[in-house]
Amino acid sequence: MNQVNITEGGRQFCEDVFDTMMEKSHAVYGVLISTVDGHDVISRFKRELPSAKLAAMMSSMLALGETIAREAKQEQCQYVIVENSDGYILTLKLKDKLVLSVIASTEANLGILHNISRTAADKLAKSLK
Amino acid sequence: MSEIKLIITGTPGAGKTTAIGAISETPPVKTDTATTDDLASVKEVTTVAMDFGEITLDDGQKVFIYGTPGQRRFEFMWKILVEGGLGLIILVDCSREDPLADLDMYLENFADFIERTSVVIGVTRRDLSETPSLDDFYERIEGWGRVFPVMEIDVREAEDVSLLVNALISSLEFTTA
Repeated sequence: MNQVNITEGGRQFCEDVFDTMMEKSHAVYGVLISTVDGHDVISRFKRELPSAKLAAMMSSMLALGETIAREAKQEQCQYVIVENSDGYILTLKLKDKLVLSVIASTEANLGILHNISRTAADKLAKSLK
Repeated sequence: MSEIKLIITGTPGAGKTTAIGAISETPPVKTDTATTDDLASVKEVTTVAMDFGEITLDDGQKVFIYGTPGQRRFEFMWKILVEGGLGLIILVDCSREDPLADLDMYLENFADFIERTSVVIGVTRRDLSETPSLDDFYERIEGWGRVFPVMEIDVREAEDVSLLVNALISSLEFTTA
């Protein structure tokens, strides 16, 4: 059972942030907040996507990214980016126990996507306890 | 020299990460993150992708050991990790409510892999519960139409874990002989 609970106000705040992200880049069609151990907390998808499964996968991917960085004698992995023929998936840590994942089509500019995601993560981190 | 890839799976808290850490000759690779659910009352961190360790057998053969996440939501990692694997260790935590049901769950979910490989069962946390008996485990495995070695082990003890790994490698040799 997921112990990360979000209030109605918090949910509204997150959804507003998600809307802003999607307005800034129309290529963004999915945003997901999940826990570091793979539970989905809140998401907004313009397409049908399996949020529970993605939440688990994002936690694995971010943990692997952090572990690979450590093995390569690098520290503080900030992002894991999956670039593929249909777009981008960008995952970053949000506070200690949460993960923010952004899914975008190929129309996205990776630099802008990076900026939108970082800005959103900062905003969410300041408000989420 | 050929390399052997083995997989360790089992319920969260059964001791997969500890077992790999007990025998690995290199610092084990871990993907532990903070637990945010009910499991937090049992352990502060949990494996979300994989563990990795390696040992060298007396004949110089390398054995790579991959630990899976225990939770079913990480089932996709189970499928990824068994690719190229030669044997499976299932750790069953006897302090849990229904260890035999846990065993069934892993036998079912790894059925395709088990079909083509060898398996050993490590019964853990025996100090907390004397049941089910080893006979109960053997009986349950027989119900699946298979015969696997079952051993009581302390995952913190390198000797115990090595025994489990050696049993698996022996059964691989027997199977492939």
